[in-house]
Amino acid sequence: MKAILDWFDHRTGLSAAWRRWADHRIPGGACWCKVWPGAVAFAFLVQAITGFFLWVHYSPSDQSAWESVYFLQHHVAGGWLLRAVHHYSAQMLLVLVGIYVTQLIVTGAYRAPRELVFWTALLMGMLSLALLLTGDLLAWDQNSYAGTHVRVGFLKLLPWVGDALFKIAIGGPGPAFGHLALPRFLALHVGVFAVGFLVVLLLHGVLARRADAAEAEQAEHTAPFWPDQAVRVAVAALLVLIIVVALALQHGVSGDHVGAALGSPADLDPANRYAGARPEWAFRGLYAFSELFPGEWAILPIFVIPGLIGCIVLAMPFVGRIRAGHYFNVALTAVVLVGIVALSLQSLAKDRNSAEHQAAVDEERRQADRVLHLIRAADGIPAEGALSLLRGDPSTQGPRLFRQYCASCHDHTNGAGTGIKAEESSAPNLHAYASREWLAGLLDGEQINTPQYFGNTALRNGTMASFVEESLSDLDDDEKEDLAKIVMAVSAEARLKPQRKLDAGNAEQIRHGRALLADDYGCTSCHKFHDKGQLGDAPDLTGYGSRQWLIGVIANPAQTRFYGERNDRMPAYAESPDDPAANTLSAQDIGLLVDWLRGEWYEE
Amino acid sequence: MEAPCKTTSSPDKSSAAEPRRGFLAKAVALACGGVTLLAPAAVGVVAFLNPLRQKSLSGGFLKITTLPVLPEDGAPRRFSVIADRVDAWNRYARQPIGSIFLRRTGENDRPVEALQVICPHAGCTIEYQKTAQRGKFVCPCHVANFDLSGKRTDKKSPSPRDMDTLEVEMRNNTEVWVKFENFRTGAAKKIAEA
Ligand code: FES
Repeated sequence: MKAILDWFDHRTGLSAAWRRWADHRIPGGACWCKVWPGAVAFAFLVQAITGFFLWVHYSPSDQSAWESVYFLQHHVAGGWLLRAVHHYSAQMLLVLVGIYVTQLIVTGAYRAPRELVFWTALLMGMLSLALLLTGDLLAWDQNSYAGTHVRVGFLKLLPWVGDALFKIAIGGPGPAFGHLALPRFLALHVGVFAVGFLVVLLLHGVLARRADAAEAEQAEHTAPFWPDQAVRVAVAALLVLIIVVALALQHGVSGDHVGAALGSPADLDPANRYAGARPEWAFRGLYAFSELFPGEWAILPIFVIPGLIGCIVLAMPFVGRIRAGHYFNVALTAVVLVGIVALSLQSLAKDRNSAEHQAAVDEERRQADRVLHLIRAADGIPAEGALSLLRGDPSTQGPRLFRQYCASCHDHTNGAGTGIKAEESSAPNLHAYASREWLAGLLDGEQINTPQYFGNTALRNGTMASFVEESLSDLDDDEKEDLAKIVMAVSAEARLKPQRKLDAGNAEQIRHGRALLADDYGCTSCHKFHDKGQLGDAPDLTGYGSRQWLIGVIANPAQTRFYGERNDRMPAYAESPDDPAANTLSAQDIGLLVDWLRGEWYEE
Repeated sequence: MEAPCKTTSSPDKSSAAEPRRGFLAKAVALACGGVTLLAPAAVGVVAFLNPLRQKSLSGGFLKITTLPVLPEDGAPRRFSVIADRVDAWNRYARQPIGSIFLRRTGENDRPVEALQVICPHAGCTIEYQKTAQRGKFVCPCHVANFDLSGKRTDKKSPSPRDMDTLEVEMRNNTEVWVKFENFRTGAAKKIAEA
């Protein structure tokens, strides 16, 4: 054994190198206060290790990036832990570099001959910020896309080169990020910033030891690096890892929210840009600082002032040569740090108190949950990506479409009044449309002319309203029972999914209701109902509220089958079946809206 | 660096005696080595800068909707701008490439006004908020407020300019056509993105 080692050593000189490294003398002796650079090195190595394994699972394209992260997070054994450790350890790395740099400033350890030691430490700080910035986008969820889009967009503030830098950064013309944005960010993250960090870290180590060696010659008391200081560094590094793992486990070890959050997949359509996007905590202070300036001067808080502060920090070793200069350096550091913390806290409080911001955040959270349900329902993600699942999901798109196209007139609120309120309620409330409760209200003399139904429409003076008010009020018990059967019969036409069991159970009453509707109550003298009555005077009750019926009404309510000339103000959303481009809503959108109105979507 | 591209002279014990040859060897070594590394790097950089040659997605006039669809009371409504989108090697047929607000102005010569939803500050998506009075536009990112014609209403607005208006053309009486463009964010002047 010894012979082999000697053979090897003879050719590599490893043992001498090891001795040089281990026997390095620490001036002033070992100290817990000197663990920071070592802890930075460990935190970086944790990033390198976990980063490599994340890389192995990552597919940087806008149709597969989120999907590959999802797969890692939910289907690869230990994948969520890997992600979470990388996520929290990245923040730790920044914190550790921050502490270290602050320590160098406060203890005056930036003075000659340690200028380069100080500068390389600063460079590590910049690189860990750059790593956070580029790493954030890679998850490709709504928050990371919207946030990065704003941050990279700030490049355009720079005169002359801004536009070019923006295009180079995202690998395309913009304004939306295209296919090449993710490969670029990944290459920068790993190939430039992570590799750069490693190089600077090694350089920093060499420079710091060189400065130590010079100091150790003068020092009264020194200690060897191995094992005196090394043991302290290793213990500190383990403590950091324990904190990181604790953060990673804060949401438990299973379920949809384990580890680090993953939002819903990024949507490039500007109409769906995430409104609740905020920078990571490390950039919060800068974000709040920029809000202090009017938009014309945005270049000041984003580039000029941080740049100036950066230059002053770079010059600290020279300023600090005199005593007053050192005090200035320490004071400046304190002001900047306190300022960042204060601004961040203020900005967080502002968001907490903003109902709109909270609503946007909640909505995104719901969507992030929803996409997981949809993936389970589809038993995997289609090749077009997870976004296609959300785009085809009535429960996600229905409320959006309703808000945009219907809620200028229609409410969609339940009995308690919660739901989507119309801007100016002037048409029936469509919550649970065509259900038994909805129809029972319509056929109630007390209710038909309330704003819930015809109250705010031209129909309030129509034949139907007066018929209901005159003939369907003050009913005796038998008549009430008949009316209930008619309601069941009409509602059954809709074939509503939530009512399917009820409809099946009441087959007898429904049959009776159909007969009553046609014969005793004379509904068919105005309405068509299957083979009785005819079109022209009132909406067709055949298939009333069914998918096909609703699609027809929304497409064009003024068709003879529906309201004809009596149509109040409802627009036709798809008037021209032959020319889809001329329509306000596509067939797919109308389908989604109708499915949502009818309560028809996947539920676990 | 490694072997220079010319065969070196046999090792000369007294190389100092031949300073000129030594100089030549160094120069050739640096030149050969440098070219070997710089040439591929230059090609890489040219490829890396390719995005500079690409044009932003801005089209001619596109049909957005018809006049009756817009609320009479002048409330804005958001529309997606649908067109073919090209992203590097993919062409997507009829995709949303942008989004705009349209609203009736009540003026005869200019019945419809079109505004970009993209915030001139840093490119977030501006939202319409119904208020007690006429409603307003708000950008959620740094909370810039605009009135219905897109003018800034904050004393100190995060946005460097008013919302960007787009050219509108009415065709065949009721069709609303809009010249869709993106504008540079962060600039005080409205500059169309090239
Ligand atoms: S992006 Fe709109 S206010 Fe900043």
